Amino acid sequence: MSAKHQVLTLRNDVTELTRLVEFVDAFCDPLQFSEPDKLALHLSLEEAVTNVILHGYQTPGPHNFTVSLSLDGDERLTAVVTDDAPAYDPLARPAVDLTLPLEQREIGGLGIHLVKKMMDVAKYERREDRNILTLERKIRRTP
Amino acid sequence: MEITETKQNSVVVLALSGRLDGLTSGTLERKVTDCAAAGTNKIVFDCTKLVYVSSAGLRVFLTSAKKMKAAGGGAAFAALTPAVNEVFELSGFTGVLTVRATEAEAITALG
Repeated sequence: MSAKHQVLTLRNDVTELTRLVEFVDAFCDPLQFSEPDKLALHLSLEEAVTNVILHGYQTPGPHNFTVSLSLDGDERLTAVVTDDAPAYDPLARPAVDLTLPLEQREIGGLGIHLVKKMMDVAKYERREDRNILTLERKIRRTP
Repeated sequence: MEITETKQNSVVVLALSGRLDGLTSGTLERKVTDCAAAGTNKIVFDCTKLVYVSSAGLRVFLTSAKKMKAAGGGAAFAALTPAVNEVFELSGFTGVLTVRATEAEAITALG
């Protein structure tokens, strides 16, 4: 398998975030991603994966889902999170109001807000009983 | 993530090191709850060595700031790394939280 395309299978357990961090570093470091690109990827995938782990599955028992990373010849990074939980569009949340004062600020929706800010493309599809969240970002490598 | 606690008069300084994410945010939340239970109402989060924060960590920062303010004090954030600063900016946190360049300035800001 090419280093520019990797797939990780995760269980729906929050301790799996450790494996996610290692997976992202192992993908980015040999390709010399810049720190802002790495931050965007780590943060977006933590949010997406946490959503699936904590809110995705309605039935007990371990469930597996996948995270894939690929980098094309045009320096476009694509991350795809695919799960077979009930249909749920994480991008459909209302926008966060960033102008509210401290007392009224809510934390809900902030994760997805960050994903939308850090990625050039964030799109959700329901296909063949699967939730597919696709995130794209044009990256710059460190010289 | 590691948390190192020191005290400067009535201000508790929590120096954070490493990653504040979905796995570690609970540890910080318990620490702040313990501080509040012990009567602390002023906390400075020293972020000099904090390399990463996600929305799980932001949630703890926000609830801590609200809790300290409600207790008649406040929270301040010192020495953000570039990564943490970017997340604060994108979240609109720099507008609602007290952010200073150094720990000393953050302590002063709490009065």
